[in-house]
Amino acid sequence: MASNIFAFAESRGGELRRAALEAVTAARGVADATGGQVHAMLAGDAGIGAHAAKLGAAGADVVLVLENPAFGNYNPEALAATIAARLSTGGYRAAFFVSSAQGRDLAPRVAAKCALPLAVDVTEFTVGGDSATVKHPGYTGKVIQSFTLKSATAILSLRPGAVLPKENAKAGTIEQISSIIDPRSSRVVVTETVKGTGAKLDLGEAPVIVSGGRGLKEASNFKLVEDLAAAFGNAAVGATRAVTDEGWRPHSDQIGQTGRLVSPQLYIACGISGAIQHLAGMRTSKTIVAINKDKEAPIFKIADYGIVGDCLEILPVLTAAVKEAKKGA
Amino acid sequence: MKIAVLIKRVPDMDVRFKIAASGTNIDESGLKFDISDFDGYAVEAALQIKEKQADPAASEVVVISLGPDVVQETLRKAMSMGADRAVQLKHDAPVHDSSAIAAALAAELKLGSYDLIMFGRMSIDTANQSTGPIAAELLALPIVTAISKLEIDGGKVKARRELEGAYELIECPLPAVVTIDEGIARPRYPSLKGIMAAKKKPLEVKPANVASERYTLDKMELPPERAAGRIIGEGKDAVPELVRLLKEEAKVL
Amino acid sequence: MTESSSASSVIFAIVVVAAFGFFSYNVQRLVGELQLGKAPDPRWNDLPRRFWNFLQIGIFQKKIFRDAVAGPMHAAIFWGFGVLTLGTLEMILAGIFPGFSFAPFVPAPAYAFYEMNQDLWGALVLAAVAFALFRRITKRVKRLQGKETHANDPLLILSWIGALMITMFASHATTGIAHELLWWTHALLVLGFLNYLPYSKHLHVVVSLPNVFLSNTSGPGVIGAMRPMDLEADNATFGAKDVEDLSWKQLLDGFACTECGRCTSVCPANITGKLLSPRKIVVNVRERLEAAAKGDHSKTLLDDFITEEELWSCTTCRACVQECPVSIDQLSVILELRRNLVLGESRFPEEIMPAFESMEQRGSPWAFDPGDRAKWAAGLDIPTMAEMAERNERPEVLYWVGCMGSFDDRSKKTTVAFARILKAAGVNFAILGQEEKCNGDAARRMGNEYLYQMLAKDNIETLEKYGVKTVVTACPHCFHQIGNEYPQFGGNYDVVHHSTYIESLMAAGRVPLREDLHDPVRTFTYHDSCYLGRYNDVYDAPRETLRRALPMLNIVEMPRSKDRGLCCGAGGGRMFMEEKVGKRINAERADEAIATGASAIAVACPFCMTMMGDSVKSRDTSVEVFDIAEVVAGQIAT
Repeated sequence: MASNIFAFAESRGGELRRAALEAVTAARGVADATGGQVHAMLAGDAGIGAHAAKLGAAGADVVLVLENPAFGNYNPEALAATIAARLSTGGYRAAFFVSSAQGRDLAPRVAAKCALPLAVDVTEFTVGGDSATVKHPGYTGKVIQSFTLKSATAILSLRPGAVLPKENAKAGTIEQISSIIDPRSSRVVVTETVKGTGAKLDLGEAPVIVSGGRGLKEASNFKLVEDLAAAFGNAAVGATRAVTDEGWRPHSDQIGQTGRLVSPQLYIACGISGAIQHLAGMRTSKTIVAINKDKEAPIFKIADYGIVGDCLEILPVLTAAVKEAKKGA
Repeated sequence: MKIAVLIKRVPDMDVRFKIAASGTNIDESGLKFDISDFDGYAVEAALQIKEKQADPAASEVVVISLGPDVVQETLRKAMSMGADRAVQLKHDAPVHDSSAIAAALAAELKLGSYDLIMFGRMSIDTANQSTGPIAAELLALPIVTAISKLEIDGGKVKARRELEGAYELIECPLPAVVTIDEGIARPRYPSLKGIMAAKKKPLEVKPANVASERYTLDKMELPPERAAGRIIGEGKDAVPELVRLLKEEAKVL
Repeated sequence: MTESSSASSVIFAIVVVAAFGFFSYNVQRLVGELQLGKAPDPRWNDLPRRFWNFLQIGIFQKKIFRDAVAGPMHAAIFWGFGVLTLGTLEMILAGIFPGFSFAPFVPAPAYAFYEMNQDLWGALVLAAVAFALFRRITKRVKRLQGKETHANDPLLILSWIGALMITMFASHATTGIAHELLWWTHALLVLGFLNYLPYSKHLHVVVSLPNVFLSNTSGPGVIGAMRPMDLEADNATFGAKDVEDLSWKQLLDGFACTECGRCTSVCPANITGKLLSPRKIVVNVRERLEAAAKGDHSKTLLDDFITEEELWSCTTCRACVQECPVSIDQLSVILELRRNLVLGESRFPEEIMPAFESMEQRGSPWAFDPGDRAKWAAGLDIPTMAEMAERNERPEVLYWVGCMGSFDDRSKKTTVAFARILKAAGVNFAILGQEEKCNGDAARRMGNEYLYQMLAKDNIETLEKYGVKTVVTACPHCFHQIGNEYPQFGGNYDVVHHSTYIESLMAAGRVPLREDLHDPVRTFTYHDSCYLGRYNDVYDAPRETLRRALPMLNIVEMPRSKDRGLCCGAGGGRMFMEEKVGKRINAERADEAIATGASAIAVACPFCMTMMGDSVKSRDTSVEVFDIAEVVAGQIAT
């Protein structure tokens, strides 16, 4: 009887990732509904097992711990082979991954090795009988697709944040396991994992962009924009063409038709009226915040949240509030 | 160096989609189609690798697409960028199961003895992100996914993958499969010269062997309409409400 | 020279034959060089128009007089040469056939008049040359400077002409051996001059008049329309990479140019510190042609002489073409080279890629959802052509909104204002809505003829589908394209710009204006759009429209207005490019507008609106920018 639920507990550099808790929480939910156990798997260099307790607290009945120096860096081939072997022994109703950078790489490898169907970037799911159904956004988020996975074991890779980690303490019994193949024989080798050096985030990659326009009045006021970006920690600073033309910011910072085309999770437009040239470059951002003095400014038409007012006055307050909110997170 | 690039024809995303009456497809009327973004980066990256070879003419970039005859247009586009020849794996019905697609592609790829097989990290429409890895598994080749930098050096792939707040440097031996993320290379704009030349390049049509699907599409729907712009207040007093909304509603904080 | 011996007549005859022989050798050489240009370019159509241009621009020096100082100076030399050439001819004939004179062939008073004119014009030429030399040496006129110019050549030539005049007068005033010497000096100077011309930029003297006759820049044909390319023809080169890819006429332009720099002095790119100089383009064509004729294949016109940066600086405003006194078409060379960059080599500033891609994918240079094209019309009760066709109706006019008018928030206000005027005037009109696509002008001017023809053909198909006859539009680029360039692809429509259309509606009393037009006196300045003005000669309609709407209006003109108007900086696809070098063109123009003291700048083009609006915002001023339609709509009786 396939009833247990597998969860991959992602770690990097000896640290547990939030994705691990999301996967375990999701697995726990299914296990509670169907009556199986949650088996979370944690792999890494010696000492990674220290995190097992956290997985237990999130709902893992069993924590499969694979400690091996060859897993210090992400070792996709050995990891996929080991998980696939585990899943192939049967007994799993579903396997949960999270579509982080690592999960996106790992889940399809596992699915391919097991010849099981796979759903990625899952936002909603139900696991039942001999199939599972999922929702998964496609078409750059403009269409929601519902799929059925016809299989006794469903491999589901969740969109990050789709399931919020919850406490639901279970035994978290540690079971040491080893790699099914010699991990040093992997053809694909991660030679180095380099942490973000705190260097400026690229506009194309930053999940948050704080952008300034002529409403900032002068170059020195961009400090306020930079401060807000710093408060987010994962934000890049952008500017309008008017601003780069004035030389307040380098041309490489320009967002718009003739500059960078961006679509971050959050875009904060400060003192930007919303000329067509600018809107063309950022209107596909997921959430748009606009701060502008002129309540008729076109930017408000596409902003999710607008504040009418002087950004010189509002930005410091917002920066403080974001710092405060980040502290709690 | 023999390189295969697998490409997909997708609609332009900068429109508001409508769902077709069937409920399992978008309404394609009036839509423009083009090569999927990540696949376009892959074609560009392949061309750059070819151009960097000591004797580019000895290298070959082959583009392959699975689908009905309209994909020939997409294949021609890739050839207008510079790909040498194309293969259409003809299959008229839509396929959603990455395993089924990957199997059909792998069967073709096996025949080509490619040194490097390139995919986009995902197709921008269905976004399943799995076809490349599954094909690699079926071909028993090493795969490096979602890479933003790629170098071929001494029979080795040297790549970089972006992580959340970090990146990895990865190596694997050739032959190999890679899937391409953005940031690697901006696809070149085909010149008219390229478009003319592409008309004369070979495009081979073969039937695709698509197995039954275990991953099926039940329904497509549109997400809830994004609320029209909302002014939440004036001046700095509105900041607490903004922060609350960013946290609770937009979930970006 | 009646006393000349027969021996000296024989010597002189030999000298004359040698001089003309050498000259004709050079003419053949130059014709051979022109034949290197392989692009077909027939120029023998519409001869009456060509004669008219020849008279106006050539003989009567219409464009020369656009410069109040150099104009009369040049005209004196030009006309003087015309008159003096007759005298020179008489002199040469007399040198070979002693005693020859025109006198026996014409009535005595006529001959007296002719003789008097010789001296009079000789004096005028001498004075003009003296002034020209003085001006060159002491004034350092800005437009005469430039790296590409041959700065010493004018001094030589002017001195040469001066010497011609002095020896002429002196030979008349002397007798005996002194006369004989001066006569020979003069004659040799004349023949030397003739043979020096083919080796200098002063080939201008002989080529200018034919060039004016053969030019199309003032007609015949559609002014400013680009040459259509046959994209099906499988050519190895697209556009022009080298002189061989240009036409003989474009090469002839190089011979006609005397480097006066009027083109460069009005070029908005050059004025604001960019690398582009239209004069350099023409000089480069000539220089490269000379090298190519000598068999130099190591270089090409593109890249080795003219750089990408120069080409992409051009706003296609046509000021250079407008200004050229000898009807040179600098712009056509720039555009052919751009075609080669884009179509042949896919080389262009990376920031225009989104515009190209979006035009191709979404039918608009702006990456907006085509489904939103008619969003501005929501709730205004404006039918689409499709809706009217369904009801079996056909509107009086099609209102072609354009991409800016459809998607740009500021321009949408103009769009709505014009729609209100049409409604108030009871015009039965419709829009195309989602079926409208970018007219393609920016693509074409950026060298992307392939994309342009795709858009043009799509649009023509749509217009034909609805049997459209009359199109009105608020965008000069749409206006120029659909009206002037779509006929190249079989699209023939009566296209009216909204300035002309509103003016005619107002003239017909169809626009109900407020009764109480007691507004305070206001001062506006009007900024001319290049594609409305220089391309289509519409200067008065927008001004007249403003006056009709605001009877108390005072229109002040900027120093550069009408056919001398300075571009806003957005034409030729510049709207979609970065402007990183020098002063921004729109800032230069806005400063000029603000300096008039006007309270508002009126425009009649959405691109001008954006450029002027952006620039005014960056200045500490309360000056506003309006489209003429907004001004009129504001006066409609409610």
